[in-house]
Amino acid sequence: MKQSVQELVALYRNNLFAAAFNVCKNAQDAEDIVQDTFLQYYTTKNKFESEQHIRAWLIRVAINKAKNVNHTFWKRNKVSLEEYMETLTFETPESENLFETVMRLPEKYRIVIHLFYYEDYSVREMADILHLSESNIKVRLSRGRRLLRETLKEEWNDDK
Amino acid sequence: MTNKERYKQAFSALHPSGRLSWEVEEMAMIQKKHKTNMAVAAAIACAVIIGGSGTVYAADIGGIQEKLSLWLYGEKTQVDVTENSGGGGYTFTYEHDGETEMVGGGGVSIGEDGTETWLSAGEVAESINKSAYVRADEEGRVWVYYYDQKSDITELFQENRCLISLSHDDQPIYLEIIREEDGFYSCSQTNKLEQDIESYIFVPAE
Repeated sequence: MKQSVQELVALYRNNLFAAAFNVCKNAQDAEDIVQDTFLQYYTTKNKFESEQHIRAWLIRVAINKAKNVNHTFWKRNKVSLEEYMETLTFETPESENLFETVMRLPEKYRIVIHLFYYEDYSVREMADILHLSESNIKVRLSRGRRLLRETLKEEWNDDK
Repeated sequence: MTNKERYKQAFSALHPSGRLSWEVEEMAMIQKKHKTNMAVAAAIACAVIIGGSGTVYAADIGGIQEKLSLWLYGEKTQVDVTENSGGGGYTFTYEHDGETEMVGGGGVSIGEDGTETWLSAGEVAESINKSAYVRADEEGRVWVYYYDQKSDITELFQENRCLISLSHDDQPIYLEIIREEDGFYSCSQTNKLEQDIESYIFVPAE
């Protein structure tokens, strides 16, 4: 199956932007990544089995492109995370604190936390998307949660 | 409120700006323009790379460079080369600690007559090899990598700044490393210093 780009833009642009931003921490880069990801979908010859397959593919491509931005040796002048956060509207101070705490986690924990808590992916699905073993995902999820708990204290439940 | 609800509430603040177009044709034009701009920026960054010294091995398979070696994390590492869509750059993919990682770059060299030539994958790799870089490991130890050198510099920071010198092929390189607020490290590098050489701590290869 193949859905139209316009349908996918409506469904997933915010998700892809959040995933890309989670990795590269820069809004302009994340926007470029989202557009580039949809263009790659438009031109890919991949055959998709389901809507969930497309969604996972889009997220994987966006994450890989964001990692690529992080590792490229040319970088644009970047707006700092603090400056960008000032432009965001959070519903509560706790939300802002959680957002900032997540963005200060190491990248390897951050993306697993994001896929679990924002995208509702299971450990197995995350392993497929990130090309990691399930045990590796579990370790990262556990360490990421522990770091969140240590910083956020009562603002973050001790979930297993 | 569950953690998932908390997380979704926090990250619902994130959304792309309204300035973007999501029509395919317009996205394609924006990306093409963006890549051209990046290539111009890279031309400045890479203008010094005119003719490599040949330390990068590149296998030419069917006219397309598909694999070469890069110095990564202190070890010579086989990487897969992918030319970025739209041209002007390459992505090098490799395995590290069981994960697939990527590094990339591109640019043009500028000849004496001003003509610009896209850098080959080997030339881009050469420029990456020549750039020292700094990473923190899971234990928080900070390492500097340069060709086959890998050195722990954790204790050499003073107020988020570290000045060190390394030696490669009997040539010194001087590095100023800054620990940024977001936890990343920026590294500026030079082979010649006019002053303050005594401020740089020599770090021998381990």
